[in-house]
Amino acid sequence: MPSHPLRVAVVCSSNQNRSMEAHNILSKRGFDVRSFGTGSHVKLPGPAPDKPNVYDFKTTYEQMYNDLVRKDKELYTQNGILHMLDRNKRIKSRPERFQSCKEQFDLVITCEERVYDQVLEDLSSREQETFTPVHVINVDIQDNHEEATLGAFLICELCQCIQHTDDMENEMDELLQEFEDKSNRPFLHTVCFY
Amino acid sequence: KDDKAIDMTTSEKVVDLLNQAALIATDSKLTVLKQVQELIINKDPSLLDNFLDEIIAFQTDKSMEVRKFVIGFIEEACKRDNELLLRLIANLNMLLKDESVNVVKKAILTFTQLYKVALQWFVRSKVMSEMQEACWDMVTQMKEDILAMLDIDNDGVRTHAIKFTESLIITLSPRTSDSDTPKRQEGDISLDKIPKDHPYIRYDTLCEEGKSALEQLLKFMVHPAISSINLTTALGSLATLARQRPMFMSEVVQAYETLHANLPPTLAKSQVSSVRKNLKLHLLAVLKHPCSLEFQGQISTLLLDLGMSQNEIARNTPAPREQRKRPR
Repeated sequence: MPSHPLRVAVVCSSNQNRSMEAHNILSKRGFDVRSFGTGSHVKLPGPAPDKPNVYDFKTTYEQMYNDLVRKDKELYTQNGILHMLDRNKRIKSRPERFQSCKEQFDLVITCEERVYDQVLEDLSSREQETFTPVHVINVDIQDNHEEATLGAFLICELCQCIQHTDDMENEMDELLQEFEDKSNRPFLHTVCFY
Repeated sequence: KDDKAIDMTTSEKVVDLLNQAALIATDSKLTVLKQVQELIINKDPSLLDNFLDEIIAFQTDKSMEVRKFVIGFIEEACKRDNELLLRLIANLNMLLKDESVNVVKKAILTFTQLYKVALQWFVRSKVMSEMQEACWDMVTQMKEDILAMLDIDNDGVRTHAIKFTESLIITLSPRTSDSDTPKRQEGDISLDKIPKDHPYIRYDTLCEEGKSALEQLLKFMVHPAISSINLTTALGSLATLARQRPMFMSEVVQAYETLHANLPPTLAKSQVSSVRKNLKLHLLAVLKHPCSLEFQGQISTLLLDLGMSQNEIARNTPAPREQRKRPR
């Protein structure tokens, strides 16, 4: 078992729902965790499917909250967005973009295949320096509140199992296979190098 | 005038920290040792020589994190003062044979860096002392030992051995005008910078060793029971080789073709998806290199097979006219 807590990054598209739900649970369980989005902008549902609220990654959760309260407090209370933003701002001040973070992790967990592709593209475009490995695992999670909660528990269980391995890299393949069977979802997995 | 006073205090501080480190438990021991490293490598390197033995003594510490720290220290110390390679390479060699795989992996990462440092340093010496010769012999032996780890039982150690092999092949082959060299590695030594009249280091031998390392990597890749992570790692290494040493592009494309046609039967379904995704990513990186011209047909066929659209392939294919331009 590694003597330091795993350094984990959880990544979804906008760093609002899926990655933040997992961030919340993982930090409560003592992991050294950060969360990110890979999109070019932060998107939140709007009054119609083709009218999302779009922000840049510099906007704080608080500013988004206030913006939506001003726009339509009832709608965004009802669909849970205000509640989510309120939770998020207690965890950190603003969403972060994975591609802009130069910190190194042991494990990066993505929440959908497109995000996994973007993470891989970013990591493999960086210049290699130390060759320290980072494992990237994709767990498909639908972008709604219920699935985000279930997904976060799955991610947390996965991280706990990995943290408790004697030799993470040697046991990873087998462990992921077991998790696939148990959770009945396919995981994509690869290793990149810093 | 004030220098001496400062020296005294830094030195005394180091002694004090080392005394603490000898007595305390693991977690805080690491913190204390890191402070010592900061003091004698960055703050006052003139103290490095004085306290080397005291720090290295921790290589037999019970805690693997402390042993890993010693490896990191060896790397920093040798980079700061190449001469220390003569004293420290044997210690690194011992740690490369440590009972903990995590220590072995850290030792491989450090040796990957120090191999280049050692070669560069020795190549600059017009006359080699017996000590230097013995040191280079040990470096060469350690290189062989790590290459042999491609066959070791532990998946993670193999992953690290693959990355070492990748770096070794880059070092032991010539950089050319077509080479797509990352900025950070621009100052690195490579075969083209090795003099042919060096008293001890033979250009031809190094050249052969580089070729042999590539053969070993290619052989490793076609092992029918290769794990998905090792396969993924090797695919990435091949793409790096093709871009930095386009002279190997033919071997690389050939290896991708062979692999695509014969994915290891031991892979689970989701692992096959992961490997195919990686293969696509790396093929695209090779395709983007200006030297891909004569392989564009083969690469496009593979990419189509992997589900990429004709349009997307065309978008990533360099125009023939640009072929001779340097990338980026």
